[in-house]
Amino acid sequence: MDAERSTWVWSGFSIVLLLFLHFLFRPMFVSLPVAPNLLVGALLLATLRLRAGHAAFLGFGLGILEAAMALEGMGWYALALTVIGYVGARSRDLLFADARFYVFGYLFVGTWIAESVLLLLGTTPPGLIRLLAGGATDAFLTALVCGGAEAATASIAERQV
Amino acid sequence: MRYLTVGRPESQRRDLVLAVILAFFSLFLSGLSLESRLAITEVLRSSILAPFIGAQNMFVRSSDLSEQVAALTTEREALAARVLEGADLALENQQLRAITGLPDRRTGEFAVGEVIPGAPEAGVSHSFLFRTRNEVVPVTPAGISSPEGIVGVLRTAHGGSGLGEFWTHPDFRVGVRTPTGSATGILRSFLAAGEETMMLLEGIPFQTDIPAGTLLVTSGIGGVHPPGVPVGFVVEEADSRSGWSHSFLVEPIVRPGQVRVGLVWLVGSVLPSPDSSSD
Repeated sequence: MDAERSTWVWSGFSIVLLLFLHFLFRPMFVSLPVAPNLLVGALLLATLRLRAGHAAFLGFGLGILEAAMALEGMGWYALALTVIGYVGARSRDLLFADARFYVFGYLFVGTWIAESVLLLLGTTPPGLIRLLAGGATDAFLTALVCGGAEAATASIAERQV
Repeated sequence: MRYLTVGRPESQRRDLVLAVILAFFSLFLSGLSLESRLAITEVLRSSILAPFIGAQNMFVRSSDLSEQVAALTTEREALAARVLEGADLALENQQLRAITGLPDRRTGEFAVGEVIPGAPEAGVSHSFLFRTRNEVVPVTPAGISSPEGIVGVLRTAHGGSGLGEFWTHPDFRVGVRTPTGSATGILRSFLAAGEETMMLLEGIPFQTDIPAGTLLVTSGIGGVHPPGVPVGFVVEEADSRSGWSHSFLVEPIVRPGQVRVGLVWLVGSVLPSPDSSSD
């Protein structure tokens, strides 16, 4: 298996696993005051490898599924995640994304922005503290979990080649 | 490892066009009627998301099964006592109505269903999916209550399930009165100090005082909720005062997180035929 293909397979696996965990443990994650947002994390990891259009399409699909799970926000979740997918992939193109630290920062900033947008689209406007402190903590945890998954799969893929 | 894949300009244009189309489609979805969105939600929940929802339900059921058994046993004992107390009352009511020439007392029927809360926002869940065990189609909006008190309102129904809003939703309103009828008003959700969701009783004439601890029950005005369902207890007079009326802070009896099973009020609703319910 060549390096490119191996990386694709393992990255795809980690993204699917993160999405699987998100939908499986969703009630637990949403009930906790701070928790990683594996949905946004997996989408941002996918945007590292997908073309902007494909990333937007993935975001749209995930937004529809998330709204069906949440029982509200049909359309708004899709819109938010479509924009996040597209902007994520485009910013990856514009910024040089070759360093591991970049992935962590990319996940942290991306999740923070995404969480803030999703909270603002909700029925109850969040307080500023929830938006800043809660969002930042969630983003940090997301970057830690998803960045860790990305680093682990990347090292496995490199070892296989 | 390299992530950098700058596309050619024409690919970038195609990507942008696709993203814009998807964004417009998302806006179209958000503008759909509640019934259409419910239908899409139902299709997704019964197909792609079904394994996840099944696993979550299994986990929830197994984790608080013993708690539920204890609660149901207590509830059953209390209900048995109330049925014994009420047996004489029902007969007495019938006889008195016959004497005074009043028609039979009709309070409507209830259907039992499962309440599945939606995503909490800032710790509070506003929406829920309601699923009846038979194919009952309530006329919406219809009041949802639990044996303890008011839960919320069912906004849309489709094939035995529907989408509803807990009383915590900003649009929720219910007409209430004190048990003696000395005061009536409109109740809505209210974000009290400390971000706690409480209820606010509005429209009480300024000369009417309601002591703390007074129980408020539904007045039945509006036809959404049956009369006499407990809603909450008055805590204190609220700071806000408008014109000739004042408001009271109310502690709700039912919190959204506590409810798993609810009763939907069926006034003028389509009940399943005896043939279909026996299947």
